[in-house]
Amino acid sequence: MDSNPDAEARPPLHSAYENDPDLRDLVVMFVDELDRRVDAIREAYLAEDAATLQRISHQLKGAAGGYGFDPIGDAAARLEYELLHDEAELSALAERVEDLISCCRSAVPPTDA
Amino acid sequence: MSHDDPIRPRVLAIDDSDLVHRLLRARLRHERIDLHAVRTAAEGLRVARETVPDLILLDIDLDDSDGFKVLAQLKADPVTHDIAVIFVSASNETMDRVRGLDLGAVDFVGKPFDVTELRARVRSALRMQRLLRMLSQRAQLDGLTGLWNRAYLDDRLRKEVSGALRHGAPLSLILCDLDRFKSLNDTFGHPFGDEVLERAASILASGRGQDVACRYGGEEFAVIVPAAHAEEAAGVAERHRARIEEVTWNERPSVRISASFGVADLTCIDGEPTPEKLVAAADTALYRAKTTGRNKVVIADPAEWPRQIAG
Repeated sequence: MDSNPDAEARPPLHSAYENDPDLRDLVVMFVDELDRRVDAIREAYLAEDAATLQRISHQLKGAAGGYGFDPIGDAAARLEYELLHDEAELSALAERVEDLISCCRSAVPPTDA
Repeated sequence: MSHDDPIRPRVLAIDDSDLVHRLLRARLRHERIDLHAVRTAAEGLRVARETVPDLILLDIDLDDSDGFKVLAQLKADPVTHDIAVIFVSASNETMDRVRGLDLGAVDFVGKPFDVTELRARVRSALRMQRLLRMLSQRAQLDGLTGLWNRAYLDDRLRKEVSGALRHGAPLSLILCDLDRFKSLNDTFGHPFGDEVLERAASILASGRGQDVACRYGGEEFAVIVPAAHAEEAAGVAERHRARIEEVTWNERPSVRISASFGVADLTCIDGEPTPEKLVAAADTALYRAKTTGRNKVVIADPAEWPRQIAG
């Protein structure tokens, strides 16, 4: 499953807390690590590893909002919901997985002051 | 991590997500707390037992454990039972929240955290913990004098006696009764009587650090003197007696007080030593002090061991 270059490009996703001095550094770290998470999501999906997919989406569901990225958290929640309620058909999750991945990719770090 | 610092409460966070720990640390940075973070239930339980924090933030959705089970274990263990637990859950299910609260959690916070809400709930739980600690301390103290109360004395004496017997160590008990207290009260009124009690109590409380001063009854006090034979404890009692005798009031220069003391140790007891027998022996000695002039210290005489002890 490759990302469709013609797919609707998402606008850049900023953290709600990017100007919060307490969180700024953490937001930078979070966005930085998203690439790694995206790779892990893709790998798990391709390997039909539902357990790992569920774990990653669960983590993101619980944390992304705290870093100011509610849309990522929501997308992760939707994926986790599908995984928990429709485990049989993994290909049916393609849309949810793609949704989460593209959401993650749209995240941008705070602009340097 | 600081221990026993009354100013900085200790918070233990149990969550398997590094993301969450970073967030917690950043968000709680400005609260005056010591935050300790662990990643597993097992480590959480171990640290909770060892350090007894004021508050635990517990992730219910731990990867390799059932958070509810961890909560139940914390509440089942007397060491960790009174620690306030806020459970953190990404679940929106009301039943999960009800379950956590019924298991003994004081509050819950949803994931992802709402910043202000998390901080407010943490503060609220810590406030409540402070009050609970004060309350449980107060339950063991006598309201008027600040000495340990009778309930504490009974419990403590039991422990001291069994400890002394186990280690073959000496143990003494001093019983102290203010002389002519009733007539003081009748003449000068109860508020003055309270003042007298407070003065006497503060003298008894300022003895040696290891002695345990308790209010035993209306005008009676008990002092547990660990690791001491009757002679040594009698010396302690004599010092108290002398200081009580010297108490004066500027507003009432003619008023003087005194107290009688009975002292006993475990060897004064006939047969198997018990806390009750120790008290009875000291009480017999106290009675002799009262009936032979008052304002004195009498050591229990094993030969006078009472044949009948009130049950």
